[in-house]
Amino acid sequence: MTWHRSDPALYEKEKAEVEAQFPDLRFVVENNQVYVRGSFPVMFEGKALDRYSVELLLARNHPAGLPIVRETGGRIPRDLDRHILKSGTACVLIPDERWHLWPEGSALLKYLTGPLHSFFLAQTMVEEGQDWPFGQWAHGAKGIFQYYRELLKTSDLRAMTTYLDYLAAKKVKGHWPCPCRNGKKLRDCHFDQVKDLRGKIPRKTAEWSLSILREAGESAIEMDEAKPAASVSKS
Amino acid sequence: MTADEYLKEVLASQALGDDSDEVKALQKHRADVEKLIRDNFKDTALTIRYAGSKAKGTMNKESYDLDIISYVSSGDNTAGETIEDIYNNHKKALSKKYYVEPKGSALRLKGCDAENLGVDFHIDVVPGRFSDETKTDAYLYQSGGDKKRLKTNLDVHLDHVRESGVIDAIRLAKLWKARNGLPIRTFVLELAVIKLLEDKKKKSLSAQMEHFWTELRDNSDNLTVEDPANPSGNDLSKYLDDNLKSQLAAAAERTLDLIDSSGWEAVFGKTEKQEKAARVEILRRAAAVATPSRPWLPEE
Repeated sequence: MTWHRSDPALYEKEKAEVEAQFPDLRFVVENNQVYVRGSFPVMFEGKALDRYSVELLLARNHPAGLPIVRETGGRIPRDLDRHILKSGTACVLIPDERWHLWPEGSALLKYLTGPLHSFFLAQTMVEEGQDWPFGQWAHGAKGIFQYYRELLKTSDLRAMTTYLDYLAAKKVKGHWPCPCRNGKKLRDCHFDQVKDLRGKIPRKTAEWSLSILREAGESAIEMDEAKPAASVSKS
Repeated sequence: MTADEYLKEVLASQALGDDSDEVKALQKHRADVEKLIRDNFKDTALTIRYAGSKAKGTMNKESYDLDIISYVSSGDNTAGETIEDIYNNHKKALSKKYYVEPKGSALRLKGCDAENLGVDFHIDVVPGRFSDETKTDAYLYQSGGDKKRLKTNLDVHLDHVRESGVIDAIRLAKLWKARNGLPIRTFVLELAVIKLLEDKKKKSLSAQMEHFWTELRDNSDNLTVEDPANPSGNDLSKYLDDNLKSQLAAAAERTLDLIDSSGWEAVFGKTEKQEKAARVEILRRAAAVATPSRPWLPEE
């Protein structure tokens, strides 16, 4: 059952919160799915600096799942370098980093005022000829590689995939070898870090990223080496 | 940025390049108007040309009209016996597609279909007749005023402005007129700028403008202009009467005070470049307090 039916109180709460802060966004239920449509403002100091026409399709298991965001005005070129697919779908973040941007279970409002707002603010700045203000992840596997390289402070793909293996596993055992590959047991080395990350990155997400990295293999690193890590704004 | 750099930026932001949407739209309008006129006067040898700011190089994006002359050859009566007939027959021809408003010697075109009803296209068609075979001097009909016939010479007018050496000052003066809603005819303003800056051509643009406004403020009572195409024949004093002179003097005084108290930006506002820089600065400030998040893209 879709979330708005299984938890109508949550639906009403989300709707009321969002429509109060974003009067130009509307909740619409179509084909048993919840959409949020309208004009999304890029705000600063109480003023709208810009606006984008958007449609958010909330996941069936909202707020556990991530919304699918589409820029419907056709203003942003359907260009991979603008992080927009041909369908208009916006790639706001890497699912693995969701835990610090929009933790699972958070209100939709936090997503709108957080990562989504930053995404469209960045689009406006790029349109003005500026760099991506917060940087950008490379596309596909190399972006995931970049993310875990920053998170785990390692460029060792084998260590990285072992970490992801442990995040995707149903359980981890202290006697397993530590993913940092220093020869120690997990309980004597990075056990706390693995435990902490297991609480942040859902198993399914880790599994999905692991499969992408495994499929790309060394090319994820090679591609990444050719184009350095997430470029951070010069400004 | 110096005052002159700023003024150059103002002019650059007001420039209309040949490939601009505005100029393309004007060219399309001109083609439509020319076809309409030629289709209606098939037996008439017509000279149809750009006049006004498009031909003089004094167009500003913020406020521009398209002037088109449609002159009949000397001795050709197929478009009308008299210049009044020529004027009225042009009006009749243009009325097939536009709402036509008589405006001195010109016919102002406005929309008359459902989509553009009453829309001012900012196009003036000036009908007339060349005075002889040389196709230089021409007679125009004047729909208002006592004198119904006006002798003029388009090329003399164009050359007078184009060779004035003060085109930039003319463009700024036109912008000033538009921003201040001053009811002075553009060609009279152009003549006034050229006259007042006659011996200031080598001065900087900001110095020229300050001189122009100082003269208007202090000596507008004595200001007169002459039609370069017909200095003794066309009396332009009616276009520069005492009421208008006092309006010009007051506006010039306000402008000079503004420059003195708040600088040149207070007169012409921020340029596009400055506005863009200000916008980028606000966006950067917004980014500084936003949640840093980086976009990604799965492989398609």
